[in-house]
Amino acid sequence: MNKLMKTVTIAMVFVLLTVLTACGSKESADGGNGAGKKASLDFVWFSDGNEGEIMKSIINDYQTKNPNITVNLIEVPYKDLGTKLKTMISGGKPPALARISTTELGAFANQAIDLSASNGGLDSYTAQYVDSIKPFYVVNGKAVAAPMDVTANGLIYNKTLFDKAGVKVPTSQDNIWTWDEFSAALKQVMDKGGAKYGMVWDYTPQRWSTLLYQFGGSMMSEDGTKATINNEAGVKAAEYFKKLHDDGIMPTSVWLGGDNPNNLFRTGSVAAHFAGNWMIGNYKDIQNFQWGVTYMPKGTTRSSVPGGKFAMAFQKSGVEKEATDFINYISSKEVNAKYCTDALFLSPRKDNSKLEYAFGKDMMELFSNELNNTVPAAAQDWSRQTIVPKFSNDLKTTLSDIIGGKTSAKDGMDKVAQLIDKAIASEKK
Amino acid sequence: MSTQASAVKRVKKRRPDQSMGWTPYLFVLPNLLIFSVFIVIPTIIGFVYSFHQYDGLNPMEFVGFDNYKEIFKDSEFWGALGKTARYAVIAVPSIYCVSLAVAMMLIQPLRAKGLFRSIFYWPTMISYIIVGLTWKWIFGDFGIMNYVLSLFGSEPIQFMSNPFFANLSVIIATVWSRLGFYMVIFMAGLQAIPIDYYEAARLDGASKIRVFRSITLPLLKPTTVLVVMLALIDAFKAYPLLFALTGGGPGKETTFIVQYIYETGFAKQELGMASAMSVVLFVLICLFTALQNKLSKGGED
Repeated sequence: MNKLMKTVTIAMVFVLLTVLTACGSKESADGGNGAGKKASLDFVWFSDGNEGEIMKSIINDYQTKNPNITVNLIEVPYKDLGTKLKTMISGGKPPALARISTTELGAFANQAIDLSASNGGLDSYTAQYVDSIKPFYVVNGKAVAAPMDVTANGLIYNKTLFDKAGVKVPTSQDNIWTWDEFSAALKQVMDKGGAKYGMVWDYTPQRWSTLLYQFGGSMMSEDGTKATINNEAGVKAAEYFKKLHDDGIMPTSVWLGGDNPNNLFRTGSVAAHFAGNWMIGNYKDIQNFQWGVTYMPKGTTRSSVPGGKFAMAFQKSGVEKEATDFINYISSKEVNAKYCTDALFLSPRKDNSKLEYAFGKDMMELFSNELNNTVPAAAQDWSRQTIVPKFSNDLKTTLSDIIGGKTSAKDGMDKVAQLIDKAIASEKK
Repeated sequence: MSTQASAVKRVKKRRPDQSMGWTPYLFVLPNLLIFSVFIVIPTIIGFVYSFHQYDGLNPMEFVGFDNYKEIFKDSEFWGALGKTARYAVIAVPSIYCVSLAVAMMLIQPLRAKGLFRSIFYWPTMISYIIVGLTWKWIFGDFGIMNYVLSLFGSEPIQFMSNPFFANLSVIIATVWSRLGFYMVIFMAGLQAIPIDYYEAARLDGASKIRVFRSITLPLLKPTTVLVVMLALIDAFKAYPLLFALTGGGPGKETTFIVQYIYETGFAKQELGMASAMSVVLFVLICLFTALQNKLSKGGED
């Protein structure tokens, strides 16, 4: 009996070790690129809408032209992107490429390949793209990523409810609303149009900062040496945001309860959604009401917040040259035009400023107009991506505390300013 | 001679110096490997990180005890820990009472007992994320509960936007999701109590409350210690359910310690600081466990 047990145990351990060894050897077989001419590029990707499918068709075209290259699209949810890349890079196996947003760009800048080196230097490389996003992808004099699309914040409204209430939206830049006029208009849509709420506003500090810039504020000084978010403009922006909730124009369920604003707007009972241009593609299938895009209201000035999605190639992937060639291909005028028109994105390329969209051409132009009327502080603030993540979540929760009446706008903004100053100080060390 | 007696004799036949060799170690080996690779080594590495400034990508910089010094000055950390303690103080006794009550009910000779046991056990098999999302659909400001309330003409309750109701929702969801697991442990403990004691008590005319206080509770002590310890550790480590249900809001009202550590590590990219916080939490949980074990004398007597 004892002997039998011993034999069974040894057999079990043997099987276990065999399985572990097999797993290990499989990984190394996959991981190696071999000495052949063929190259395999891992492209870590996330999708907001249908752009993953569009990228697959672009990859197919590229592979047809370059039969020795295989591009593997590794799709991850956006929220897992940072962790996935961090794990791959710190594990010594960086992917060849990744689609990356402004939020992650700063963290991975040191691991990225300088794309300007193979494209005639920094000035000629950046000259291709709209200037407002330059602070995002140019880090320490290097082009660490290629812009794929540029984003702007703007105002999407429920046309059916506005028409029912008899409220006309601004038709040109000359007659855009002030914030007080806009609030009054939303109340009228609620009273006469039957809207349950006037507006929903994405639960992100980036989207809130639109109001900050419109009120003439900024998060940091122009040279990035100190916080300015708690100055008069910043406090006013926070107070106005609270007032929109207090007046019942905005539901507290988004900024306090975590409700999804997209879903609320889709119900048809909310007059407007303060979001980004990527929502055009998302709302394309709405059937129960008509909707459109109009000019955002202004405070002391007009402003949006620029952002975008980029493609980054990583060092030490073993296929750096092939990855750079692929990025140069997808960011070329023709391929980028196809990508942006199919996915309903704004192109970051200056030579693609007028694209022929099959849907929502006027809306895209309106978002483009918002971007052209954006204050420089917006890009300066949000491009400081080694500092911003250290306080952005606190900014979001502090705004929730201000809305909920747990703290005053002044105290809340002072607290965030302290965090910004601390992050700036630790950056200088 | 009965089978039991012969088995005892066989066991006794083994002399103290007669070793089983390395066989027992082989049985332990698979789990030891897994435990070492996925628990022990990461714990040691986390401890090393806690003395460094590290963002997960760029080279680490040794900072000594700076991270720990900063934690002791960080009011948000202690605030999150305080909220976690408040949550544990409410959730653990709730889980204890409810699961014990259900276990006592379901060891009775009921019809369809198996079905009821399955119903109570079923939530423990669902991932915390799904539990959180399910309760979010129920308690959301535009959720099922408010819809039902509106049918009765009641004003909607801001379950997720109001700090009190958000905390209450978290407790309800936690108890619902863990009740079945602890119910099973209690059922095993209850069924291990010899029936003779109850019969003797009944003959002596003891009331049901007296029987519960003088027989059930004292004899359940080892099970109670186990349940309370597991539930307390669970409560301090709670994260996925709460994150899916409230996202830590409104504001930071339901941001408990693990979420705070996660945000420090992955949103603020301060892995060294987050590791130091994890070490503090680790030490606290060890202290709790040791203290509780000492107070209850390991559940003996």
